[in-house]
Amino acid sequence: MTTMIQVENVAKSFTLHNQGGVNLPVFDEVNFEVAAGEALVLAGASGAGKSSLLRILYGNYRPTRGSIRITHAGRPVDIVSAVPRTVLDVRRRTLGFVSQFLRVIPRVSALDIVRDPLLARGATPETATEKARAMLARLNLPERLWSLAPATFSGGEQQRVNIARSFVDPSPIMLIDEPTASLDAANRDVVVALIAEARAAGSAIVGIFHDEAVREKVATRYLDITAFRKA
Amino acid sequence: MTLHATFPDTALEPAPLLSVAGISRFYGERIGCADVSFDLWPGEVLGIVGESGSGKSTLLRCLAGIDKPDAGEVLFRGGPAPLDIYSVSEQERRRLMRTAWGIVHQNPRDGLRMDVTAGGNVGERLMDRGDRHYGAIRERALDWLQRVEIAGARIDDRPRQFSGGMQQRLQIARVLVSEPRLVFMDEPTGGLDVSVQARLLDLLRVLVRDLGLAAIIVTHDLAVARLLTDRLMVMKDGHVVEQGLTDQVLDDPHHAYTQLLTSAVLGV
Repeated sequence: MTTMIQVENVAKSFTLHNQGGVNLPVFDEVNFEVAAGEALVLAGASGAGKSSLLRILYGNYRPTRGSIRITHAGRPVDIVSAVPRTVLDVRRRTLGFVSQFLRVIPRVSALDIVRDPLLARGATPETATEKARAMLARLNLPERLWSLAPATFSGGEQQRVNIARSFVDPSPIMLIDEPTASLDAANRDVVVALIAEARAAGSAIVGIFHDEAVREKVATRYLDITAFRKA
Repeated sequence: MTLHATFPDTALEPAPLLSVAGISRFYGERIGCADVSFDLWPGEVLGIVGESGSGKSTLLRCLAGIDKPDAGEVLFRGGPAPLDIYSVSEQERRRLMRTAWGIVHQNPRDGLRMDVTAGGNVGERLMDRGDRHYGAIRERALDWLQRVEIAGARIDDRPRQFSGGMQQRLQIARVLVSEPRLVFMDEPTGGLDVSVQARLLDLLRVLVRDLGLAAIIVTHDLAVARLLTDRLMVMKDGHVVEQGLTDQVLDDPHHAYTQLLTSAVLGV
């Protein structure tokens, strides 16, 4: 299968300048690859740096060292050294990030939030609306909420809007951070199914799943990042 | 409504819209801004953040051609040939500012003609660029008032009869009606109530995306920067201390000053 992510010699540490310049090393010499159709689950104790690694893959945290080649439109792009507009283009077309938190924007309805990635990739408004409605229904979000801005929704409802937005048109690479944290069993199963479908369609998945049952159902491979830790 | 811009394929744009090299401005001994360089590409929104006195407004005034810097060069590629904005005549620069550029001032009174009707304020920019058909100008002004959520019935009212939020929306209509390639905004939501800010921010976000505008936005509000900008420059004492993708700079700040800024606010 095509290699979608190639991580080479990545190290990360945080320097807290306003707290006495203390340096917090997270990990060093991280090397791995992820192919299309794989679901790599990051393992390791809380605080080992799983979320930091996921954010580095997304180009959100900047590693201290190393390169991360993302296969973008058939070509490798180093997300670490790429200019901002290239990173944004990679995110728009290739890299999706699914967190448990929705960034609420004033006045934008749940339906529009979910339609957005489809429109950004050139879908017609009709197709986008149809797919967005189907996805919200699948995640059991009551239809009376679709036209409302999610600012007043419960945590679980906001989370489902966020998941709907992420999976309505799965990216070639999906980075997933604890997507099922506050969901009930039925919706958890929907998320597991959505991940499996994205993978079957060729997406490369890298994820963090606290829930062991979910982890077992999703993973095709594990990566224990404690092994990279340099004390 | 959607949440972020569609970016054209990077391979299709051969050159930046604006190339800024070594801009410095001094006030006697004091540094306004020092040695600022960057490129801005079509459709990109750049935020400049920093505290009062950091030099961000000085820099914006230089970039927008309002003040002349003591050193440096700004090349604008919005027309048939690249234009060095400080070497062209005053007349040419003014023409550029009225047509290809737009400036949204923090105080709407600085950007509006307070004794001219709302419709006149918007229509004037169209006449500046050569439109002459009165009916067409009025129709377009009406369309733009509605796009910034001002009722068409207010077209013959004067800005002093408007609330602060409405005045700011009117200023935005006046700037955008002439379809500029590049817009400069100085604290566009400053001085407005929080609820009014949210409406204006959402409006700006949608307009910037739909029109594919390139914009440079000066703000001290990191939440505004997060919502509206793709890239961020952090300024302190006239110098750019850190720059990068907006979420990188806000979520993983490297410079001591940026760490101080981001840790001083709640939930950005």
